[in-house]
Amino acid sequence: MSETKALKIHNLSKIFSFSVKDQRAGWMRNLLKPHTKAVKAVDDISFSVEHGEKIAFIGPNGAGKSTTIKMLTGILFPTSGSISVLGLDPTKDRKRLAYQIGTVFGQRSQLLPNLPLTDSLEFFGTMYDMPGKEIQKRMAELTHLFEMDSFIDQPVRKLSLGQRMRAEVAASLMHKPKIIFLDEPTIGLDVVAKKSLRDLLLKINRDEKTTIFLTSHDVGDIETLCDRTIIINHGVLIKDLPTQELSKTFAYEKYIDLIPEDRFSAFPELSAGMRYALKNEDKVTVMVDMTKMSLQEAMQKLLNIFRVEDIDAYNMDLETIIRHIYERDPDRQ
Amino acid sequence: MREIRIASKIISTLTRDRMQYPGRLLVDAFAMIARCGILLLLYSRVFQLNGGTIGGITFNVAAWSMFFYFSFSVFRLRDISKAIMQDVRSGNVETLFNKPISYLLYRVWWQIGMGLFSFVAITIVGVVVLVLIVGLPTTMTTTIFILTIIPVFLGATMLSLAIYSIIGLLAFWIEEITPIFWIVDKAVMMLGGSFLPFALFPDFMKKLTVYSPFGASQFMTHAVYDSWAEQWVFMLGAQAVWTIALSLLAWTMFMKARQKVSVNGG
Repeated sequence: MSETKALKIHNLSKIFSFSVKDQRAGWMRNLLKPHTKAVKAVDDISFSVEHGEKIAFIGPNGAGKSTTIKMLTGILFPTSGSISVLGLDPTKDRKRLAYQIGTVFGQRSQLLPNLPLTDSLEFFGTMYDMPGKEIQKRMAELTHLFEMDSFIDQPVRKLSLGQRMRAEVAASLMHKPKIIFLDEPTIGLDVVAKKSLRDLLLKINRDEKTTIFLTSHDVGDIETLCDRTIIINHGVLIKDLPTQELSKTFAYEKYIDLIPEDRFSAFPELSAGMRYALKNEDKVTVMVDMTKMSLQEAMQKLLNIFRVEDIDAYNMDLETIIRHIYERDPDRQ
Repeated sequence: MREIRIASKIISTLTRDRMQYPGRLLVDAFAMIARCGILLLLYSRVFQLNGGTIGGITFNVAAWSMFFYFSFSVFRLRDISKAIMQDVRSGNVETLFNKPISYLLYRVWWQIGMGLFSFVAITIVGVVVLVLIVGLPTTMTTTIFILTIIPVFLGATMLSLAIYSIIGLLAFWIEEITPIFWIVDKAVMMLGGSFLPFALFPDFMKKLTVYSPFGASQFMTHAVYDSWAEQWVFMLGAQAVWTIALSLLAWTMFMKARQKVSVNGG
């Protein structure tokens, strides 16, 4: 590969401008001189991605994830900044770039709804200029890999959501793209379908060295699929770190669950460094700030206060960590 | 070469789809019988009451002229406006914008593929029925008619697609294009001779038909008149000029629209 990076984004910004009705002005003024409002969806972000990496690009709703993906794939034009995807500028080389990337938008279908899935796959192959024999070969490969034999001849509209998502991903892989952009690919899927899709993506990444760039609200996608996580909020990049490191972000916070012998009736004030995360008759959860006291010290203090049947200490789960990161983003306060 | 391969793939795939689901063909055939059939019945009565000739034309000429309008309408090329509007409003445009194809050309081939089977099937059946019922006017047996009927239909196809693409592309700016679509569509219907054959138009409407793109998009309805022998060069030329001008306009609008796009959820 001649390019050193799969993706290189530098000071990327996107401002959406739209007209808003001025209630005080008349309809003529609103028509001729409309009031415009600007929203900065992506604000000066920079990062790069190596070939074969698996990136989770996450953030709360309205954070700017989809806008960024759409700029990377040439759908939207950036307001400022530069993008290089496989060495190409999506604003200038959209067509050339399209041959090398695949996209899956979880909430939109790119398949032909009334026709059998084979027609959609053949159609994609033709669109990507693949010779007829290669189309058939790739279709057979993907049908086997994605276990689509049972529904390959069915009209797309008759597929279950899980089958359809597998088909969507397969269609986007027809031309063997070097990068696949997935925008919430597991949305609405049950646990079995989610696992199956994740396994397939991992296999594609391993066997075909496809770079994966994924947005998702599902922590399972991030944990099982991605080795690096980039967090964006209010259009600003707030964290870029290996996914494993993410769990260490709040490693100084530990949780202790206390299960009562009978029932908890009182919840006395805790010493500095501990606070209640949950106060319940059947269960108490206490958050311990490890910079202020050790876990052993915290447990001893809690056992002095409460009569317990069981006690359990653990780290914060990834979902809570991510929620904390979003909440601690100063812009959100 | 690549564009031809994509175009033929889209058209053949959609034609196969239409053949597998013949419901749409039946609906189109029923609409044709209901609209064109009833109008022709009424006109046959009016021509009868007037001694067989009105404004210098006979009923069979009027019937064929109107039939050409209605058979062409089965092609549903005007639906490209709604398809583009739907893509813009639903945000579905994004799934096509990142493919190695031109969105606008994709929509054009798609629209042709959607209507081609109904158009061909209904036109063939309609021609046979009309030949048997009203016969062929002599103007339809001339060499000029035979040589020009396909080019004028092709010109009408390209010009219609350009006109209705422009209307559809307006959705990138105003989202709701239905009122504009309605006005243009009615202009095409009136000037195309769907209610009244062109030969019976008042002079100002004849001029409007000949010099406007809306009328030019239905010039195949003129091919059955005596005047076609003198006017076909001008009319095919006018169709070509309007097609080039409006296609350029559509392309320019599309290039501007691409930079304007703001997709739902983005």
